[in-house]
Amino acid sequence: MKHNTGMTLIVRTVTRVSVWLIFLYGMYIILHGHLSPGGGFAGGVIIALGFLNILLAYGRDFVDEWLNIHLMKDIEASMATLFLALGILGMSFGGAFLANFLSKGELFRLLSAGTIPILNIIIGVKVSMALFIAVWTLAILHISKGGKE
Amino acid sequence: MTVYLLCFVLLLVGIYGVLTKRDLIKMILSLGIMGYAANLMIILFAYKDGAMYAILTKGADPQQVVQQMVDPLPQALILTSIVIELGITAMLVALAIRLYEKYKTFDITKIRRLSG
Repeated sequence: MKHNTGMTLIVRTVTRVSVWLIFLYGMYIILHGHLSPGGGFAGGVIIALGFLNILLAYGRDFVDEWLNIHLMKDIEASMATLFLALGILGMSFGGAFLANFLSKGELFRLLSAGTIPILNIIIGVKVSMALFIAVWTLAILHISKGGKE
Repeated sequence: MTVYLLCFVLLLVGIYGVLTKRDLIKMILSLGIMGYAANLMIILFAYKDGAMYAILTKGADPQQVVQQMVDPLPQALILTSIVIELGITAMLVALAIRLYEKYKTFDITKIRRLSG
């Protein structure tokens, strides 16, 4: 039985073009998290929705081939460790957990605000991987069509 | 005061859904509505008449603009709350899918054999 092969050619073609714009927008939201609304979580959700778009349009089998899910799991787990490491670095250099120890730079510049952009990137990667893996895990459960018990 | 009452009505809508619906998916959606009502309530506590969002914009004088901003602390708390709600919803959906696999129905009155 063949299932989960994705949607029609039109949906696939539109997805192939638009997904990269979605990724770009998510990265923009993450990188400008310390200047404008948004940040790690919002941008991470947008990137995860881009992955979800591929999962819906191309189907589960394609995603399993195209993406290394185990590597994504490892990245997602290591991001929590990185966040903790930055917090402890703040404790040793700045005096408190997650304290800033980098130069704060100039206001409204992209490279400013000390460690906050780094933390935003860590959170963004973690949220995008975690959310996509959660939906992917729900998608791999094999559900047979209704019927009596 | 009215907005708080309306917020409470939204919470009641969620509770009504959880208590009366038989479909598991509708119950999960009702739980989501309850969560939204709680979030909205906490956000409303930070509301100030005529105030602006708590983000510094270019060219504004920080000392002066800070006085006109809403309280950003509830917003930061609500962001955490939204994330937790996301986790709860994902877990509930996973449980609902497992129940569907076993009983082939989302109707809670038909899910009887809870052992074995």
